[in-house]
Amino acid sequence: MSAPGTGAARYIGQRVPRKEDARLLTGRGQFVDDVAVPGMLHIAFARSPIARGRIVSIDTSAARDLPGVHAVFTYEDIKDQQADFLSFYLAPIEVRVTPLADGRVAHVGDPVALVVAQDRYVAEDAVSLIEVAYEEEDPVVTLDDARNNPSIHPDAESNIAADMGDEDIDDNLQALLDNAPHLITHKVIHQRISQSPMETRGVVAVPEGPEELTVYITCQSPHAVARWLSLVLGMPQGSIRVIAKDVGGSFGLKNHPWREETSAILAARKLGRPIKWIEDRLENLTAANQAREQEMTLRVAFDAEAKLVASHGDYSVNNGAYPLGADANIAVHMFIWPAYKMPAYSFLSRGWYTNTIGLAAYRGPWAMESLARETALDAAARKIGVDPIEIRRRNLISLKDQPATSGLGVYVDDITPAECLEKLLQNFDVAAFRAEQAAARKEGRYLGLGIATYIEPTGAAGSISVMTGELAQLRIEPTGKVTAMMSTHSQGHGTQTTMAQVIADRLGVPYDDVTVFEGDSSRGGYTPGAAGSRQGVIGGGAAIKASELLADKVKRLAAHLLNANTESIRIEAGMVHVEGAPEMSRTLRSIAETAYGEPDKLPQDFEAGLEAQYRYTPPPVTFTSAAHACVVEVDIDTGFVKIQRWISSEDCGTVIHPAVVEGQIAGGLAQAIGTVLLEEMSFDDRGNPTAATYKDYMLPAISDVPTFEFLHANTPSKSVGGIRGVGEGGAIIGPPTLVNAIADALSQFGELPVDLPLTPSKLLDFIEGRPVRKPKEAKRAPPTPASPPPSAPQPAAAAAPSATAVSADGDWAMTIHSQMGAQEMKARFSTEGGRLTGKLMSDQGDQEFEGRAAGDTVAWEMKVTKPVSLTLKYDLKIEGDKLSGKVKMGIFGTSKVTGERL
Amino acid sequence: MKPAPFDYVAPRTVEEACQLLSEAGGGATVLAGGQTLMPLLALRMSQPFIIVDINRIAALQGVSKVSGGTRIGPVTRQNDALVDPTLKQALPVLVTALSHVGHHQTRNRGTIGGSIALGEPAAEMPATAVALGAKIEARSVRGVRSIAAEDLYLGPYMTTLEPDELVTGIDYPEWPAGTTPVFREVARRPGDFALIGLVGALGVEDGRITRAGLGWFGMGATPIKARQAEQALLGQSVSGIDVQAIAELAVADTAPFDDHHASADYRQRVGKRVFARALAEALDIRQAA
Repeated sequence: MSAPGTGAARYIGQRVPRKEDARLLTGRGQFVDDVAVPGMLHIAFARSPIARGRIVSIDTSAARDLPGVHAVFTYEDIKDQQADFLSFYLAPIEVRVTPLADGRVAHVGDPVALVVAQDRYVAEDAVSLIEVAYEEEDPVVTLDDARNNPSIHPDAESNIAADMGDEDIDDNLQALLDNAPHLITHKVIHQRISQSPMETRGVVAVPEGPEELTVYITCQSPHAVARWLSLVLGMPQGSIRVIAKDVGGSFGLKNHPWREETSAILAARKLGRPIKWIEDRLENLTAANQAREQEMTLRVAFDAEAKLVASHGDYSVNNGAYPLGADANIAVHMFIWPAYKMPAYSFLSRGWYTNTIGLAAYRGPWAMESLARETALDAAARKIGVDPIEIRRRNLISLKDQPATSGLGVYVDDITPAECLEKLLQNFDVAAFRAEQAAARKEGRYLGLGIATYIEPTGAAGSISVMTGELAQLRIEPTGKVTAMMSTHSQGHGTQTTMAQVIADRLGVPYDDVTVFEGDSSRGGYTPGAAGSRQGVIGGGAAIKASELLADKVKRLAAHLLNANTESIRIEAGMVHVEGAPEMSRTLRSIAETAYGEPDKLPQDFEAGLEAQYRYTPPPVTFTSAAHACVVEVDIDTGFVKIQRWISSEDCGTVIHPAVVEGQIAGGLAQAIGTVLLEEMSFDDRGNPTAATYKDYMLPAISDVPTFEFLHANTPSKSVGGIRGVGEGGAIIGPPTLVNAIADALSQFGELPVDLPLTPSKLLDFIEGRPVRKPKEAKRAPPTPASPPPSAPQPAAAAAPSATAVSADGDWAMTIHSQMGAQEMKARFSTEGGRLTGKLMSDQGDQEFEGRAAGDTVAWEMKVTKPVSLTLKYDLKIEGDKLSGKVKMGIFGTSKVTGERL
Repeated sequence: MKPAPFDYVAPRTVEEACQLLSEAGGGATVLAGGQTLMPLLALRMSQPFIIVDINRIAALQGVSKVSGGTRIGPVTRQNDALVDPTLKQALPVLVTALSHVGHHQTRNRGTIGGSIALGEPAAEMPATAVALGAKIEARSVRGVRSIAAEDLYLGPYMTTLEPDELVTGIDYPEWPAGTTPVFREVARRPGDFALIGLVGALGVEDGRITRAGLGWFGMGATPIKARQAEQALLGQSVSGIDVQAIAELAVADTAPFDDHHASADYRQRVGKRVFARALAEALDIRQAA
């Protein structure tokens, strides 16, 4: 309907100076530790030195007596305040999580008590005076330990935190795997990663009287934190203001607050004093949630022409003790094959509880799919004897093959990994490299080329309730300058720059005249912020739509004031022009002054002022594609890897700011290099972290990161503005690219085990034919478990019908507690002997079913088609006016069901 | 990560510093560049009652030519030593080793004496002192003594310095012009402590090895003198050296252990190769000259 303010894009696509740079590069940013509030006190935590055990006693008397200490709290002291922890999806946490340990500790670093003192020094002095007696138990540390031991949590049935997929492989798939000309079984081990943001976690909680709260916190969205805190603490959202001006990186760690931040807020409310907690680096490395630690066995079958036939993935992820939402990571399976012509895929996916730090997100949380798939394809290419580029050409979905829908229901119609690969190959002479590689080999030098392709779901909105659209509120001030309240939030993303570029471009004003405000929940509206490479896509779309609305308003007013047609008005560089009448030109300021200050001059029904807002919801998913190439040299005497060259060929649609895009990719690739070569968070047998400082947790330094070369393809997406997300891609495609290069360099020594990180020690063991990983005996549970197993609910089946059985008949209010949040519905049961008929009623519609009733149990199966086709298997037990049990939701795993009689 | 409470004094003279150390009765820690001490304090792994800051003692700073060699004041900053013309001429291998100590930023504060007195077994400066045959001057109210670098180290961060002693100078013997430097370091990232480090010097006259000083770092609980290799090299004609055999002997003196970054096996296996490469390269350079 409305044309943009100007024709040609003048700012979108330009490397304009970043608005954030002046303050960030001169040390004038406002991070949470820069916030000081009068009367502010400081917190330090006493933490568990053991991984698992019972707290026998806590003696805080000496700490309390230390001068300068205001309070010492254990769980007993703060348990009167609500703290019902929720996941990122705002779903209840599966196991009971308390702000401070309640009677038991479940990992080294578990917060046991907190000291509030005049400063952090005194607080730490007091922490060392707290005496805690523990009764230590054998910890469950590794995935193998978790599989072989009873539950670490008294309130969980087993160590399976979450599971999806099928334990039994479908016969047809099995036959495809068994009968294929080529089958490879490829195991990938991914170490645990510390997200390591430069700014650690931290909070300043400021009670404003008994009912209101201001929270300065380093996070990924102040709006999401305000919503989370409101629900967790049971406070009205309007009484909580969350401020996060500058944030020094997050990478998924700060998706929402966790135990320490919540404890600090509870302590502040209890004392009625502002309280600051800044996580120190020791805490960040040994107590902040961590990521990855996965294993995947991927089987891939090929026909005689190296075309894909079938695949199966068996995936496990260590959830630690208190994950930020239990996770089996279904996205790994959703996104492993949609870019390839893969006829059949199934999987088993499990998350496991252990006595280690809990799982959180890390840039590209599902990245294991690209690592497993792309390294498997190279391994297959070597086994079958085809070129790794050729195996991709034969199997990738190109634009002409689309639209296409994967076996798990992922629909793609504009992905370009095949096209990105061809573009990459036009800029990298593979034949010349192979010649160089062969010549080097003769000199005893081992060069390798790694290539990988991938697609990435970005800008997700609408399919999960917390993943909303983004809001842009724009105003042309009476001064003629533009202010924008955006729901975007930067942890280094440069959204104040990119959003200003979009607005300046679409409104027709100078870039310098646009100021973007974000980082305060009292401005703008709810959004999950930076989570899932979404801000460019959705925030950009919102900025475009709001700019167009505002430009229309300016044009309408200008046309009225200048007695011209609306169509003849152009806004350019902050001036309003009438086509063909240069003498009529006005500054935007003069139009704005009239809009605000001279209501008599406005057209009829024209709302005074120049303001517009738009909440943009994009298509459910916008895919970004890429192909990367990397050249390495491996020193076979030492096992050291030197990266010689790295080229990125990505398609992120419309590029708002090339340097921001390249910065995102480069940052992700740096993390990829850390993942493949350096970083490793591990634990000893007793669950003690083996890296507690950056001397031992090895992040890549600038000397470890080469200069990257960038190629941009620009297939516009279907979202407004044509933008595609680019926040996570480097961290997803980087690891397989580098692993493939190393494996290529060392191919004459055999098939390199993908066991990250590929340290010099491991590579040398591989080169010289020794086992890369010494087999480690999993801890086995003693015949009598150390802690008694929790009383498991009785299985619903096979109970004999009883004359005194409670009747299920009637109407019930029922809730499914899924990982994506609670789903409410009404159920109607009617039983006759062993036969059950019923109906489920929800806002999604009604559905009838038939099933079985036995004693106090009811069970039935029903098919659903949304979000994908699957069969739900309900198994419920009736106790008086309450019901409880489970529903198995196919690949989406099992969820708890509760209900009450209506 | 905030230090426990401590007292702080910054004496202006060596005498004053020694008096303070004596009075503290073992409860004092000396602060030089602070690149190790400050993190240890922050982690509360070190909790001294009193910190004696020696940065204001002018007599402890600077490089000077002395009879029989070169003296480095312990509070000389690593970056100052790195560009010192005297050192560059007299002890080029020390300068090479210095360029691998930490990072540019840490070398601005870090001192030569601090590194030597600390005794990190994977650090460059202690091993260089051992390899080149340096002597450490230690002073206390009880007097002055000179300790051969190889007698200084007992274990990781453990030295034969008494709690009341202050390092007041590091004396490196003269290595004549024409000495061949030997240096190799294998580290996960530039600036990290070494997985394997080799440092030293070879004196060559008329095609024969006349003097050998070779030391390992990162290859055991202390810096290690490659004594067997030194002995085997002495008197040998450069053209007749069996590099592999010498490397074997050099590694035989090491006693590395497994840690988070590499196994002991890796260190010895690669150490031998690194030694062989470094020796061959050093002598080839010599022969070509």
